[in-house]
Amino acid sequence: MLLVLNALKYLAYILIFPGFLFSFLVGMLLTGIDRKIVARMQKRVGPPILQPFYDFFKLLGKETIVPDAANRRVFLLAPLVGLAGITVLQLFIPVFHFHVFDNVADVIVILYLLLIPALAEILGAAASGSPYAGVGLSREMVTILAVELPLLLVLLAVAKTVGSAMGRGLVFSLSTIVGYQELHGSLITKLSMIPAAVAFLLIIPGETGSHPFDTAEAETEICEGMMAEYSGAPLGVYKLTHAMKIFTVVSLFVALFLGGIGAGIQNLVAAIGLSGAFAGALSLLLQILVLVLLSIVLTIVCISFVHAITARLRIEQVFKYYWTIVTCFALVSLVMAWYGL
Amino acid sequence: MSFLSYQHFPIFTIMLYFLGAFLIVVFGKAKALRHAVAFLCTAGPLALLISLIGRVMVHGEIISYWMGNRTPVGDYAIGIALEVDALSLFFGLLVATAVFVACLYSFRYMERDHNVPQYYTLYLMLAGGVMGLVLSGDLFNMFIMVEILTFAAVALTAFRNKVTGALEAAFKYLVVGSIGSTCILAGTIILYAQARTLNLAQLAAVIPGNFGVSTKLAFALLFIGFCTKAFIVPFHPLAADAHGAAPASVSVLISGVLTKSGIYGIIRLVFFLFQTMNLGTMQFWLVFLGSVSMFVCVTMALAQHDFKRLLAFHSISQIGYVLTAVGLATGLGISAGLYHAMNHTLFKGLLFLAAGAVLHETGTTDLGKLGGLAKKMPHTAALFLIGAASISGIPPFNGFASKWLIYQATYQKAAETGNIGFALVTVIALVTSTLTLASFVKVTQSVFFGQMPEECKNAKEVPFGMRFAMGILALLCILTGLFPGLVTRYLTEPAAKAAFAAGNYINAMMGQGYAERIMGAAAPGAPAVSFASSGVWSPLSWLLLLMIALLAICVVALSGKYDKVSVRSSKEVEKKYQLFYGGETQSFSQVGGGDLFWGFKHNWRHYFSFMHDLHSGIVNDYSLWAVVALALAIVYALIVL
Amino acid sequence: MFKKLIEESTGKSPWLFHINAGSCNGCDIELVAVLTPRYDAERLGFKLAGSPRQADIVVVTGPITAQSLPRVLRTIEQVPEPRCIVTMGSCPQSGNVFRGSYSICGPLSKYVHVDVDVAGCTPKPEAVIDGLALATKILQQKRREMK
Repeated sequence: MLLVLNALKYLAYILIFPGFLFSFLVGMLLTGIDRKIVARMQKRVGPPILQPFYDFFKLLGKETIVPDAANRRVFLLAPLVGLAGITVLQLFIPVFHFHVFDNVADVIVILYLLLIPALAEILGAAASGSPYAGVGLSREMVTILAVELPLLLVLLAVAKTVGSAMGRGLVFSLSTIVGYQELHGSLITKLSMIPAAVAFLLIIPGETGSHPFDTAEAETEICEGMMAEYSGAPLGVYKLTHAMKIFTVVSLFVALFLGGIGAGIQNLVAAIGLSGAFAGALSLLLQILVLVLLSIVLTIVCISFVHAITARLRIEQVFKYYWTIVTCFALVSLVMAWYGL
Repeated sequence: MSFLSYQHFPIFTIMLYFLGAFLIVVFGKAKALRHAVAFLCTAGPLALLISLIGRVMVHGEIISYWMGNRTPVGDYAIGIALEVDALSLFFGLLVATAVFVACLYSFRYMERDHNVPQYYTLYLMLAGGVMGLVLSGDLFNMFIMVEILTFAAVALTAFRNKVTGALEAAFKYLVVGSIGSTCILAGTIILYAQARTLNLAQLAAVIPGNFGVSTKLAFALLFIGFCTKAFIVPFHPLAADAHGAAPASVSVLISGVLTKSGIYGIIRLVFFLFQTMNLGTMQFWLVFLGSVSMFVCVTMALAQHDFKRLLAFHSISQIGYVLTAVGLATGLGISAGLYHAMNHTLFKGLLFLAAGAVLHETGTTDLGKLGGLAKKMPHTAALFLIGAASISGIPPFNGFASKWLIYQATYQKAAETGNIGFALVTVIALVTSTLTLASFVKVTQSVFFGQMPEECKNAKEVPFGMRFAMGILALLCILTGLFPGLVTRYLTEPAAKAAFAAGNYINAMMGQGYAERIMGAAAPGAPAVSFASSGVWSPLSWLLLLMIALLAICVVALSGKYDKVSVRSSKEVEKKYQLFYGGETQSFSQVGGGDLFWGFKHNWRHYFSFMHDLHSGIVNDYSLWAVVALALAIVYALIVL
Repeated sequence: MFKKLIEESTGKSPWLFHINAGSCNGCDIELVAVLTPRYDAERLGFKLAGSPRQADIVVVTGPITAQSLPRVLRTIEQVPEPRCIVTMGSCPQSGNVFRGSYSICGPLSKYVHVDVDVAGCTPKPEAVIDGLALATKILQQKRREMK
């Protein structure tokens, strides 16, 4: 009986919160807000905020054509693996105080798990046999290569800062990093972490493949690149995966640099004078609300604003940008963390 | 000691290989007999070594064996000795596994070649050479085994001598390999002149008291000699040529086994013979060489157009990881390095066998001439993908488990020593890993997916025997990735502990108390080694979660019924199912995807053109590199160590 | 499972794929003008797709030259069901001033079923939006009939 209840609990974690349904809704919402904001910045009315939902469900209703040249099984399975990958990854990123699976993966593993959706997409694109997809996947790979270096430096800087502050050498566990921030304030308030936070903010559009780093799916030059041959439901799943990835990356930023806010919310609930299960539920609800609000703000700042004011870069410019400017920010932070500034 | 007691197992292991080589010369004409002998003589050693795991790995016993029972007299080890501690056994197991699997594969793979009996003879000689080197307790025996394996490897490289470049590759290998062997011989002679013994254990006890200029010279010579065997950076072009020409099953041995013998030699040198040397400076040397090998070889691999040459460069790049991790000289580091060495044998073997399968069916390994093979060879493609995911360090495969440990180990070392340089090594390791991924994306795209050229239309799936051999390796890749806890507990951590327990090694060989008597207070005991890492990774639970999520998504996808999948049913070509080329038919397509990593290469163009000019392909140049490397090593050893 | 939702959504997110079959570029510019801030068709969910596989509505401009005909037909075939074909401008409907030329194969309706014709040389953006909205209705209808 207990086993069944436990199994159901974990299933709920995976499928509803913080797993699939939650990140599905928030991810789609973020994409919708992004499109709306970009439109408003261009003095357009813009699509309704629910537009990504319409797009997704429309795609479910379309025919899925498997080209002759494609490898059918890989072509159809790859999007599902990508979606499952991002769903599971979402489980490892704590919502402030609330974390479900903190003994499965640390930040270095998360760095790699972020690759899985992109890799699934690359594999599916390769299996489609389209030459446009070939060009697209090579660009995607170079983008991954470009982003990975500064992202690693940021994570190393965080691990070192938290580790030396806690006197434990290094801390890679995400829940410990968040726990530290709840006691000692968010990491972004530390001088040495500000360049790292800036670097991470600059990484967000690259990691999510949005403008101006969307060379991999440049629809006007290489016909959507990797997705050139995808239609119908698999395409919808890819769009969904992208939307969820935005939320994942943004909430990773919140967990790494703004984790201290969770303590504030708990204090607030305690200050009202509530306690017990109700207070716990209320504080969780507030934390989710704050996370979603923060995600919206970060999406607008990092993705929408950048989208509206830039033109698409060439792939070698993307690479150069990340390996020079962004890496410098991250490196400064690492060195400062190392020498205890 | 009864005849079948376990103390005899190491010598049986070595003897079986050489016996097999001899028997095949005599009875090799009959195919069935030949295969039977080859099978028994490769399966036997594997079984013998596996039976030793319990004693050596779990209970930490060290098996010492004197040939003809000539035990040391008056503290002088005259007889020929074998000594098997956890480290030797670990490498022995790798060797035996790779040899066994590649042998299974070659039964079908070598069918179309001429002179197959000679192939098996040389193959078993090579295997016996490496096994002898790994289990030997005697420096001069190690040299002899190096000679045997080098010449067997040279002959096997040139085995398909009708292939363009095979003889040239063998010649290059012969020249530079001989330089390496000569270095090992010279180093051995110097050590003998000084210590008057060749027994490893006794040397390890005597050398620390007599550490002088000539010892340092001997160290430099031996070190460069073993580097040649492991193809560490200035020697890497040899491997590329050799792998390009050799049959795939031999490539497995050269990359999975021969390079390991070099790594094994380096570990024995640094942690046993010269264990009192200044380890700090040694670390820098090893980590530096390892990082350079890692990065240079992966970038060289990105520039390759030949499947097997590309794999060859990756092989050395991964050896760079091993050397780096071993060079850290921490428990976690050595354990991670050995873990990666094991994984390297498994996934590299798998990849070379897959390349061999492609060559077997299409007759080419040129990436430009291949494509779309996943439709013709689905099993090979799936197995290749497992290997590619492993080497690129994609969770939950084994490459990730060991690379992740290496990141932890390097960064932890940085935190412990306060040296930010080790953090740089972590960064190089991760960038290299991503570059490896990029390179394998390229291979996957251009060999197994993408458009199929006319020449590949006749390809079909390879025979079951070959797929079976690949399947074993693929299964091992997955298992060692999913259960990193078991692997570290029963295989790599005992071996890493053994690397620090030089005192035990000496005493097991020379009698209890010998190390303390000779070395006095400096005698190394068995220090407590910490394997703690601050990271968290449990692949099994991740995989479980992924499977549940995938299952749930599939259930929704199937129950929704909205997913109308259209696949062409009739034979006639329908426009609907053609690829989109901007409205054109495929034959008029103008879309080129030639250089997949232009974005990366453009930014590094000066580096690439420099590397291109450097690798002239002339054996004189490579010999010069070897000599320069030797000179640098001697200077470094004399000045710094 | 989501039948109702899908039907509803089909009408709210039509993606366009634009084929130029020898057009003078006038209609092409006007189609882009529809997406600019002044007319902003994106508020109705319209979006230009990069590949025919992702399109719902195919917009054909130009008088269908002999060279372009097989390409146009192949590309239209590659659009997944349900799909709508819209001709824009007079050229694909009548041949316009090019009518009678040896190199013109139009009208398009000789080869495929055309759902909406937007006439004019060039049609005003308002007319284009009107035509596309009509095509969206047809699209929704087609989805409803699809089993």
